[in-house]
Amino acid sequence: MVELLSGYVMYSLSYILIFVALATLLHLQFGLTGIVNFGIVGFWGLGMYVFGVSLLQYNFPYIVSLILATVLTGVVALALGRVILDLDNQAILVATLAFATVVRYIVTTEKWLTRGVLGLGTVPFPFDLGQYSQFGFFLIILLVTIALLLYTYKLGSSPYGRLLASIQDNEILAQSLGKPTFREKLIFFTITSALIGFFGALNASVEHFLIPHVLTTGVTFTVWIALILGGRKRILGGLIGVIVTIGVLDFIIETYAPIPTAYAPLVPNLKYMIYGLTLMLILIFRPLGILGEKKSTKILKVIRKL
Amino acid sequence: MPEKKLHLKNVMKSFGGKKVVDVKDLTLGSHSIEGLIGPNGAGKTTLINLITHKLKMDRGQVFYYPNGREVDISNKSLDEIARLGIVRTNQIIQDFQSLSIKDSLLLSLSTPKYEKFYKIFSESELEKEAEEEIEKYLDYFHFENPEGHALSAGEKKLLDIIRCLLLKPKFLLMDEPTGGLPQDQTEKVRDLMKKKTSEEDMSILIVAHDLDLIWDVSESVCFMAEGKILIQGCPEEIRKNKTVAKKYMGESDA
Repeated sequence: MVELLSGYVMYSLSYILIFVALATLLHLQFGLTGIVNFGIVGFWGLGMYVFGVSLLQYNFPYIVSLILATVLTGVVALALGRVILDLDNQAILVATLAFATVVRYIVTTEKWLTRGVLGLGTVPFPFDLGQYSQFGFFLIILLVTIALLLYTYKLGSSPYGRLLASIQDNEILAQSLGKPTFREKLIFFTITSALIGFFGALNASVEHFLIPHVLTTGVTFTVWIALILGGRKRILGGLIGVIVTIGVLDFIIETYAPIPTAYAPLVPNLKYMIYGLTLMLILIFRPLGILGEKKSTKILKVIRKL
Repeated sequence: MPEKKLHLKNVMKSFGGKKVVDVKDLTLGSHSIEGLIGPNGAGKTTLINLITHKLKMDRGQVFYYPNGREVDISNKSLDEIARLGIVRTNQIIQDFQSLSIKDSLLLSLSTPKYEKFYKIFSESELEKEAEEEIEKYLDYFHFENPEGHALSAGEKKLLDIIRCLLLKPKFLLMDEPTGGLPQDQTEKVRDLMKKKTSEEDMSILIVAHDLDLIWDVSESVCFMAEGKILIQGCPEEIRKNKTVAKKYMGESDA
């Protein structure tokens, strides 16, 4: 039991939850509002490194570092969003992608701050519960992820969610109804990106050891693939997508499938091929992902009547 | 008689060197309902786009007079102008594809008070506040399924008009509001226009090719051709005018 609560399984589950949160935040940014954020790893990495530097280099308390990481990521998102959010989708895609690259290079080259490729050092858990520390931390991530999912659920049927959906559908028409669409996009982009930074900071404790290599574009692509697979328009799209991709492919198959040792080195490459194939099949047969788009209004009506 | 709502001075717009709108001096909103007519390509829709700032003018000024104050709206954005009370309906159908009819109307009625990212529990409050007003419109125009999406072009057109009316504008610009609507719905829109302008502090500028509608509702009509306002006057005057007849209606109609 102790083994189960402290070892690889807890690490895997924590990692999966972090990605569920990222995919859910992408659902809010892209699925709901239509902001094409291809710089997820940038905000995530920024949060992670601000947290790490603050905690390890400047010895700020854990909570202070966590808040600092969230707020600073938000400030950067605000500045970036102010410049790019009224551009078209392609431009936003390229700009966010470039932003993520900038973050990665700063983390790699500014050795005085981040110790570069050598790595920043070991990030501890916020508490010491002996063998149960990892389990305790997993519970914290579980709680915040559930809170995020509940928020997403309520937002979808709130006036603000409706406003964001209208911006994605027809921004000019929303403006002609008096909605300050740019301001709302900017506020929402700032908040959701700050939260990406927050989950990056939490990930620092999951990863334990921070090296720039953690911040590859692969993170962004994985989140995107997961959300598209699961259903970008759906609240649980990110959750389903992450379980199907990282959950099944990264952990269950890599860990438990009886693959002969000779073929083991092939698995990571095969994984990306399977990702690609699944994505293609989904886009051909279910363009809106596994969960699709249709909110089953009939079921909702029945529930309301009960 | 209402006071003037808008004053345009030297408003100009060209596309690729061709002057599309060139209005020297134009006062709008001095009557409850005013008509704007002119042949295709006269610049009517562009003029509306310039007033609401959907398009940027090359030069010129637009002044707005809410409650006697003077506001220069030449450099304000589309959404600011809408919040000041100048709202337009669209000639080409515009809709929010992911919103149902009811959602679309709730969006229009919702205010910044409800639209905050942290106010995720305010939906029922908004619905309660909005219910009566929305029901009124839904009863007046019959939609097949208000919980569902607007399906036909006609429904989308009506939805566009209702969304605008829910904003309680002071000055409403209607670009071909009845284009594509069946006769009974056209009459409903017409009656509603008359009712709203007589009961509330609202003026309407209507652009239409349906001249019967224009003669019926307008107290004043502007005739526009080649980007210029050629003549502004009461409907009878415009009908009898030789230039209008020649440029627009054909000699036989005069």
